[in-house]
Amino acid sequence: MFEKILVANRGEIAVRIIRACKELNIRTVAVYSEVDANSMHVQMADEAICIGKAAASESYLRIDRIISAAEIADVDAIHPGYGFLSENAHFAEVCESCNIRFIGPSARAMSALEDKAVSRALAKKAGVPIPPGSEGIVENEKDALAIAKRIGYPVMIKAVAGGGGRGMRIAHNDISLVKGFHTARTEAEKCFGNSGVYIEKFIENPHHIEFQILGDGKGNIIHLGERDCSIQRRNQKLIEETPSPLIANKYPKLREKMGKAAIRIAELANYTNAGTVEFIVDDAGNYYFLEVNKRIQVEHPITEEVTGVDLVRYQIEIAMGEPLRHRQGDIKFTGHAIECRVNAENPFDDFRPSPGRIEMYYQPGGHGVRVDTHAYAGYTVPPTYDSMIGKLVTYGKDRREALDRMSRALNEYMLTGVKTTMSFQQAILQDPNFRRGVYSTNFVEQLLSGARREFIEEKA
Amino acid sequence: MDLKDIKAIIDLMKKNSVSEFELEKQDFKIRLKRGMGGGNGGAVQYEEAPVLTYTPAPAVIAAPASPTPSGIPAPATASNELDVKSPMIGTFYRSPSPESAAYVEVGAEVGPDTVVCIIEAMKVMNEIKAEVRGVITQVLMENGKPVEFGQPLFKVRPT
Repeated sequence: MFEKILVANRGEIAVRIIRACKELNIRTVAVYSEVDANSMHVQMADEAICIGKAAASESYLRIDRIISAAEIADVDAIHPGYGFLSENAHFAEVCESCNIRFIGPSARAMSALEDKAVSRALAKKAGVPIPPGSEGIVENEKDALAIAKRIGYPVMIKAVAGGGGRGMRIAHNDISLVKGFHTARTEAEKCFGNSGVYIEKFIENPHHIEFQILGDGKGNIIHLGERDCSIQRRNQKLIEETPSPLIANKYPKLREKMGKAAIRIAELANYTNAGTVEFIVDDAGNYYFLEVNKRIQVEHPITEEVTGVDLVRYQIEIAMGEPLRHRQGDIKFTGHAIECRVNAENPFDDFRPSPGRIEMYYQPGGHGVRVDTHAYAGYTVPPTYDSMIGKLVTYGKDRREALDRMSRALNEYMLTGVKTTMSFQQAILQDPNFRRGVYSTNFVEQLLSGARREFIEEKA
Repeated sequence: MDLKDIKAIIDLMKKNSVSEFELEKQDFKIRLKRGMGGGNGGAVQYEEAPVLTYTPAPAVIAAPASPTPSGIPAPATASNELDVKSPMIGTFYRSPSPESAAYVEVGAEVGPDTVVCIIEAMKVMNEIKAEVRGVITQVLMENGKPVEFGQPLFKVRPT
């Protein structure tokens, strides 16, 4: 049983973790940078320790300072949240060697899935389809051209160490392939320190569908259904929902098939704790493995709403050595849930970040409305971190009810002082194709290029 | 603690020429400082359970701090004094070993490279330098207490 947990993160996820700890009667220690001194997670935790200046590299990414804080606060475990050090195998190792439990997969499981090339090989071993492409890293132009010829254009060149949509290029022919090959390698070297790239078939009208998994380290791994995250702008998710309309309306058998595939991959990697297996699905219902996210994800609330399972609480319990209480057959899916990521960005100015002081704040409520946020009236959103200030989640007995409720909640949400993406998300919700559940990852691009301005109303 | 008590303490301080008084109880801390040469005579700061400094909260349910940016005024400082702040997180020690004398006391002259204390983290003893030239006017931390990043350790009057 943990007495104390250090939350190695900030913002809304730190608040989320602290809530789960409070419900388990576990004391919490927050760490914060100087600019986060008045942040909600600092106020909510039982203890708080300043670990550095604003820049993440000086604070939230400083393994030495976080471990020092864990030491002086005498904690039993660290929850890394998402981003920052959550998928850093070295950090997990350091925790283990300092006798501090890392709430997440073991360093070994992380290494087994450490980059995309390694993960693809694992998926292949598990008999899970991967997008046709290169076996591993593509060393030179000649090989790249040969692979493209084999699998057929269009193809995607991707960085093996990539993430957040960086280090990727599409090529439709030999000329753009050669060009893209070199620029992707350069970008990958710059962003991730690793120029390795691989090539895979580019799926037209792809659907990004991911599966939540939980493993207890005692041989039990289950999945908790899918999340459709195709509504993205520049590879950044804006809206997520479950069930996926593609699966619910067109290919209902995919849930079981893909769920089992996700579990097989997790088993091969000896995966423990929470994770997400990402797939890409084409319009014909063919699915391909993309990668495994070895952490709790931003959009975890929608899975919680339709399954009734508290995922963050489960993470802590698994880390404490408890076996899963659910078998696969115990996981039931009821109703529909949608999440809008509320980012402090101005959709009218190419989504430029909009930091600043929140003057007036009123969050929506009522039946089926959940807000996970660290924002409050008087809070200053710093420019130093990512722009997400909260998540608005609605639940309904079916998709229609969840959508209508989200529309209602978006209208109710009052936030002045910073600009947010909410008016844009409202416009998406009104779009006829989105309402029919017919969309792929090209949706936002298409909406923006033919933007119907009158639907995107600027809030005062 | 209410206004009557605070007034009584201030009177006692005046009567006995006490310039500084600090009291810390389970869920509050009060510090009274009588004006230093025309500054803020009798500035009163009343803090609820502090969130900015590392303090183990003894209560089972910690008193929630208000979620608005609180303007807790900094303790009155003579305008030219500087703080030596902690560059790391760990445990503060005033001397190189339990048997030795402290590195510095109030009145000690320090230069930028003068070691003023040790901060221990993960069994490594880190010597912390003053980084300024001046005279130590106050020792702000207690030996053996945990410190966080940016925590003021000493006050120095620069020369």
